[in-house]
Amino acid sequence: MNSLELLSEFETFLQKKKDTGKKIIAFLGHDNIPIELLEAADFFPLRMIFAGDDQLMNSSNTYLPPSTCSFAQSCIGYFTLTPRTHKFLEYVDYFLLSNHCVSDICVSEIISDVADLKRLDFYVPYYRNENASKYYKIELTNLKNEIEKLTRERIPDYKIRDSIIKQNDFKKVVKDISNLKIKGYEKLKLYQKAMLFGPNVQPELERIVEKHRDHNEINLKEYKNLLLTGCSIFIDDFLIDLIDESGGNIVHFDTWIGHQYYSQIFSQETLEKIQDPYKLLIKRFETNVYGDHCISHSLENQINSIINYINQFKKENPNMEDVAVLNHIIKFCDHFSLFQSTFKQKLQEKGVKVLNLERDYSRAMRGQLRTRIEAFMEMI
Amino acid sequence: MSVFTDDIIGFKSVLRLAYNFLNGNSYLKRQKFKERKKLISVALPFSDLIFASDAVPVFPIRMEKFNIHPYLTALDTAKNLLGWNWTTKLLTIARKFDFLEILDNVLDDVIYTINDKYNELYDLAIDNGIPSDFCYGITGLTGMFISKAKNLDANINFTIRCSAWNKYSETLQDYVPRQIWVDIPPRNLDNSVELLADNVSKAISDLEDVTGNFVTDNSLKKQFRIGNQIKRFYKTILFELSNSDFYPCNPATFAEILALLGISFQDYNSNAQRYLENFSDLVKESRERIDKERGMDVSDMPRILVTPVFGGWEPQVHEILYDLGARTIYADWEILNLLEEIDVSKNSDPIRSYAEFLFKPTTYGIGYNQEALTDSYIETAKELQVDGIVFNQVFGCHSISNCYSRLRKKIRRKLEIPTTVINFNKIGENVEQVKTRLGAFMEMFHL
Repeated sequence: MNSLELLSEFETFLQKKKDTGKKIIAFLGHDNIPIELLEAADFFPLRMIFAGDDQLMNSSNTYLPPSTCSFAQSCIGYFTLTPRTHKFLEYVDYFLLSNHCVSDICVSEIISDVADLKRLDFYVPYYRNENASKYYKIELTNLKNEIEKLTRERIPDYKIRDSIIKQNDFKKVVKDISNLKIKGYEKLKLYQKAMLFGPNVQPELERIVEKHRDHNEINLKEYKNLLLTGCSIFIDDFLIDLIDESGGNIVHFDTWIGHQYYSQIFSQETLEKIQDPYKLLIKRFETNVYGDHCISHSLENQINSIINYINQFKKENPNMEDVAVLNHIIKFCDHFSLFQSTFKQKLQEKGVKVLNLERDYSRAMRGQLRTRIEAFMEMI
Repeated sequence: MSVFTDDIIGFKSVLRLAYNFLNGNSYLKRQKFKERKKLISVALPFSDLIFASDAVPVFPIRMEKFNIHPYLTALDTAKNLLGWNWTTKLLTIARKFDFLEILDNVLDDVIYTINDKYNELYDLAIDNGIPSDFCYGITGLTGMFISKAKNLDANINFTIRCSAWNKYSETLQDYVPRQIWVDIPPRNLDNSVELLADNVSKAISDLEDVTGNFVTDNSLKKQFRIGNQIKRFYKTILFELSNSDFYPCNPATFAEILALLGISFQDYNSNAQRYLENFSDLVKESRERIDKERGMDVSDMPRILVTPVFGGWEPQVHEILYDLGARTIYADWEILNLLEEIDVSKNSDPIRSYAEFLFKPTTYGIGYNQEALTDSYIETAKELQVDGIVFNQVFGCHSISNCYSRLRKKIRRKLEIPTTVINFNKIGENVEQVKTRLGAFMEMFHL
């Protein structure tokens, strides 16, 4: 399925949701948003996980200087450019502001203003410790109260818990996808679909997992195997095509669309032990060590996670070349740009080959990106 | 010729502030090796806890050796022999015989020396792999740590909503292994003040661990009192002196002084008591000069707020504005609510008071979003009664520079004063464009 089909299918899907009276709440996709709380309030959570282009980026220039991350710029473009690139964004009722990065705050404010959308705020602590967990609870309660004020309906705890269990089961399916022996290109499409539709596509994904489970549909020896880290590859981004065309295959997506999403699965034991849904959400925040929002050990955790994966891959594929790392950095990204040279140096010290691939969404960059990816492939 | 020199020679408080800033390297060496004090780095004006633990706060550029002009070194010698009063008198006499205008160069060097060093450290960071698309402030700070972090015993970090800042803070553990964190919750909701107070307590424990000193309520309150007095003097300069029709010096010099205060306020030049005395003298001397009509009538010069500058700005701005007939006000710390006093009343809990203080910039100053930040600009501009605003859009700044379009709308709606934006990437890089832009901006005052 290509991106056009996926987006068209989503358009129909969202139209149906809207027809049933569902309220759509959009937000810049990241890993600390309690979407279960939104679902329990009968909202459909719509993650902004769409890549940009020149036109979308340029249309944000009225609001932001050009030295802003091109994903953030494009998100504004999706709401300001007419006719809208994605018509389904017209169905959005609310916008959720969060502080994954400071651009998340700015962009959410701008979008809710220009698109005249009621805004809800949810701030995530910058640090991860006992007090940060307590603060996360304060924000959860505040968000719940704000939603209840808006909808004039109470959100019962059991509904949040049900949603947690539903999302948890869904994440298990997404994790199963990560274990399939299919091309990275295909995996990404499935991850993106999962992120967009949520548990609504669980039966379809289960069928796909079942179909491919015991089949090895890719000979890894034919490809240069890569681990993708840094910024996620969003829907309709040509980067994955470039990697594919250059003979590369991503075996592991160490990004929010991928490992950081399904690494947040609760064990059955935890679900049984913790009945309070808020405590479960807090627990998830506490254990989300691979996310890039919180400091002060995000780089260390990212490197450990990558090394663990590479070692595991070596163990499972002893006769194969080592996995190389492609660090995808969207230009002006606060979270991954600053670390890039330290990141590369630390991994190279451990014998890992790394390409820091910094880019924006302009078409003009395509040739340059291709050259850099191809050169890296030759090197590995 | 410098606009700084002529005025400053008789201004001993300013000379002292400048000298104490530039002489940081030898002062800090003495503190570390002779006085056995711990050096703890800090950026942004959050040095109070460090002082209270009897350690020495260091805004890291001050560990650098500056190319101090030989005359300024001689000034130090004279100061040691004769004291500051006689030294400034001597300088005034020397000025009369300074046919070669040597003294012009001496004091002209102060701000330019600091800025040259900023650029040098910015380049050092770039050479060490920091991407050039980060803001000047963070890049320059990283350069400072690359250059001199080995001298530090610890570094203190405060989380704010700028994600680049928080990530930069995380990278500092590569340069200074001992990191102390004060995590400020993003918003002041519910019992967040208690959480923040607890985080402050933990940071104090870490400071005690590093210094071996015990931090008491009294030591905290004593430091907060000093800080409060400094802030009061700072506000006097911003609200009383900068608002008067007669300045104690020419307006470009006045702006230079504000710039120096802005930079040095971050660590009080590593000595809070001395800094307070300098500030007190500065206010006193300024008033005396005004009383004696030593200075300049500025009643017909519009007052222009140039902001933000703490993350880097083109220091020629105030000279350009002066040439165009305006006076420049730098007031970042006031805008960001960092000149708010800390409660030191008899029954107050100093840790909680400090937590409440920390929430003010988060809530009303830099704010937890752009709405709050732009409100803060509007409020301060109103209180300062400025006639125009020049917004300094720093390349790569994603938290403050991004608010300009929102701010411009608010200024039009609520203040109805002229505004313009200038772009900044690195000192000295964009001067001609800045001149053109400011020229067009100043035309609005002559219509």
